[in-house]
Amino acid sequence: MIQSGNRVISGSLIFLKKGEKKGGVILNKGRSIQAKQQAAGWIFLAPATILIFIMSFWPMFQAFIMSLKKGSSANMVWQTPIYHNYERILQDKTFLTAMGNTFLYLIVEVPIMLILAILLAQLLNNRDLKFRGAFRTMVFMPCAVSLVSYALIFKSLFATQGLINTVLMNLGLISENINWLGTTGTARAVIIIGLIWRWTGYNMVFYLAGLQNIEYSVYEAAKIDGSNGWKTFWYITVPLLRPTIVMTAIMSINGTLQLFDESVNLTNGGPSNTTITMSHYIWNQSLGVGVAKFGYASSLAFVVFIMVGILAFINLKVGDVRD
Amino acid sequence: MKKKLLSLMLAGVLAVTALAACGGSGSAGSDGAADSSAEETADADAGSSADSSAEEEEVALIGSSDDPNTLTVAAWDANFNIPALEAAEAAYQKVNPDFKLEIQEVSASSDVENAITLAGSSGDYSQLTDIVLFQDHYINQFMMNYPDAWQPLTKDADWSGFSDDKLSYSTFDGTHYGMPVDNGAAIFAYRTDILEQAGYTVDDFTGITWDKWLEQAKVVKEKTGYALMSMDHNGDDLPYMMMQAEGASQWKDGKANLVGNDTFKSIIEVIVQGAQDGTIILANDWSEYTDTTIIGDQVAGVFNGNWIIPTMKQNTAASGNWVVTTIPTLSGKEGYAANGGSSLYVTSNCQKADLASDFLTYTFGGGDGAIETYDAALTNGGVISCYGPAGKSDLYNQPDEFFGGQTVYADIVENGTHVPAVEQSDYHYDLRTLVGNLITNVINGNDIDAEIENAQSEIEFTMEE
Repeated sequence: MIQSGNRVISGSLIFLKKGEKKGGVILNKGRSIQAKQQAAGWIFLAPATILIFIMSFWPMFQAFIMSLKKGSSANMVWQTPIYHNYERILQDKTFLTAMGNTFLYLIVEVPIMLILAILLAQLLNNRDLKFRGAFRTMVFMPCAVSLVSYALIFKSLFATQGLINTVLMNLGLISENINWLGTTGTARAVIIIGLIWRWTGYNMVFYLAGLQNIEYSVYEAAKIDGSNGWKTFWYITVPLLRPTIVMTAIMSINGTLQLFDESVNLTNGGPSNTTITMSHYIWNQSLGVGVAKFGYASSLAFVVFIMVGILAFINLKVGDVRD
Repeated sequence: MKKKLLSLMLAGVLAVTALAACGGSGSAGSDGAADSSAEETADADAGSSADSSAEEEEVALIGSSDDPNTLTVAAWDANFNIPALEAAEAAYQKVNPDFKLEIQEVSASSDVENAITLAGSSGDYSQLTDIVLFQDHYINQFMMNYPDAWQPLTKDADWSGFSDDKLSYSTFDGTHYGMPVDNGAAIFAYRTDILEQAGYTVDDFTGITWDKWLEQAKVVKEKTGYALMSMDHNGDDLPYMMMQAEGASQWKDGKANLVGNDTFKSIIEVIVQGAQDGTIILANDWSEYTDTTIIGDQVAGVFNGNWIIPTMKQNTAASGNWVVTTIPTLSGKEGYAANGGSSLYVTSNCQKADLASDFLTYTFGGGDGAIETYDAALTNGGVISCYGPAGKSDLYNQPDEFFGGQTVYADIVENGTHVPAVEQSDYHYDLRTLVGNLITNVINGNDIDAEIENAQSEIEFTMEE
């Protein structure tokens, strides 16, 4: 939108110059009508543009400046050398652990979640299914739960004396309570299970919307050609859903890289920081423990920003079928 | 028609939640904004970002009051600190009937810390309350980094009544900035009924070495199934308290002193051994520590700052069977330690500094209202004074039935005066986390020396900027 706005204004600038040179009255009149229209466009665009600039881009720029400084927020001074915060990141073992954890969640959770979502969408898109609406609502329901609440509920479920342990004990599957959140492997698994529970329905809704855009006749044609369910899904549904898949993948990757609530509320990063995520670590650096290190936290945030950018770019390229 | 009604209702609900969210985060300032932007992008979902911002903690303080006789104060813990402040208000009103103390209860100590950070970042201190309660281990750091947020007390209290350990936190360059409130003296309490089942008395656990403690604890565990101690391993204070009982510190000349520190290593080994024997329960978080292990009746011993007593009392079934004693040490002498505790500080936003100082010295500072304040604080909030003379009052010397008739409060005040002052650091909590991780890793089978070296290098990394 902003881009097309730019094009329009530069066009009008050329036009204006021409008009001035020739100085014709008629041209002037024509110009003023067009200019008026363009001005209207700009007036409509201006509030959003200015707000985005002030509320998003300016703080981002400020954060970058801050990422080159150190000291408390009341009295920040430049780092020496100026890129020292970024240098420091490379030696920061906790951040590297956090990065590893985050990517582990990403690699394990996103594919499982998206595949589940697409399968559920396919099932619930079936026209012959009864109570379709009810099922859809049920699958989507977890998304209506706030992140903090669900994290706390999972925490109590998986507590050492929690429901899961009690059930497993009574079924005779385990002989003593498992310390789910106090052991690295299981704590990570609980976070991933939580994420899948919370976000599958959300992604399913996008797939459902995508599926509804696929003409039913395409499926009928496939049926006539003798294609079975799997082939229909793989050769018709998936390619036609491609834009949706790309979008959900980008959103999920982006969201997972910025994972915060689960790490904070479910495990608080423990045991010994083996489940901490990057955002959680950034928060710890800024407001978590003692005096805020906003400078270092900003530089960490910029590293995450760059990672998200790169991954989104790769994703877009992979998903782009035009070339 | 139906649709119209529905959409109207929906719009109404949205408007209400949006307003509520704005009300919440509008005053939360930059902290709230940073928080919610992280969540928002993670959600990519307007609906849930609205409700998550409504859940955000309120960090803004209520500021000062226009009334010349009213002071505002921010503090946490409705069962502990708030009753103490109310007690002080009532005591001070006897000499100044117009006086009013407006108490703002915040949900955690970090709310006050974040409010100072916020005010310091913006240079606008006007939202700070006249007085804030502040954690002892953090105050030095915040005093150094946000010097404009504080002002010294204008009136001297009876400083000789406080322990040096406690005053060392609130004094800067010889100037008193804070008024100590509670006593952090650690207690080691045991359940006599359970020890008896295993054939022990409390005397068997007083003035012993940690090795003997581990040995006997194992017997107790085998015979009764009870562990002998538990700790919130997410904020594990055991190493700190055990080191202090030895008179040792994890710090030396401002630097972490872990590698080559034999006392430290021995203490870690004790904790690891206890955890492996099941005699020390390392809980995953605070609520598991208090609700499951202590109130849930899993332990026959509690070792922590004495502020844990109100929690212990919630397990009413154990009433009458607890006895408080001293801490084991590596050498076998009786150990004394302190953990936690906070003091009241006057902020730079206070225009009534004289009133504030007068109020604090009259009540908590050993003035004429001190005994009344501390007695009421003990009765209503279980707050034990760190002001020595307060321990001489009749109330403090009354036997407590929960502790089988022991004069536990006088004992704690007495113990508090024996706590050795050890070197402290601004990086106390950073190190606490690292040492907690170290213990986890050693329990999981990693080499203790390598882990200690790792913790040392990590704390050094944290300290250099």
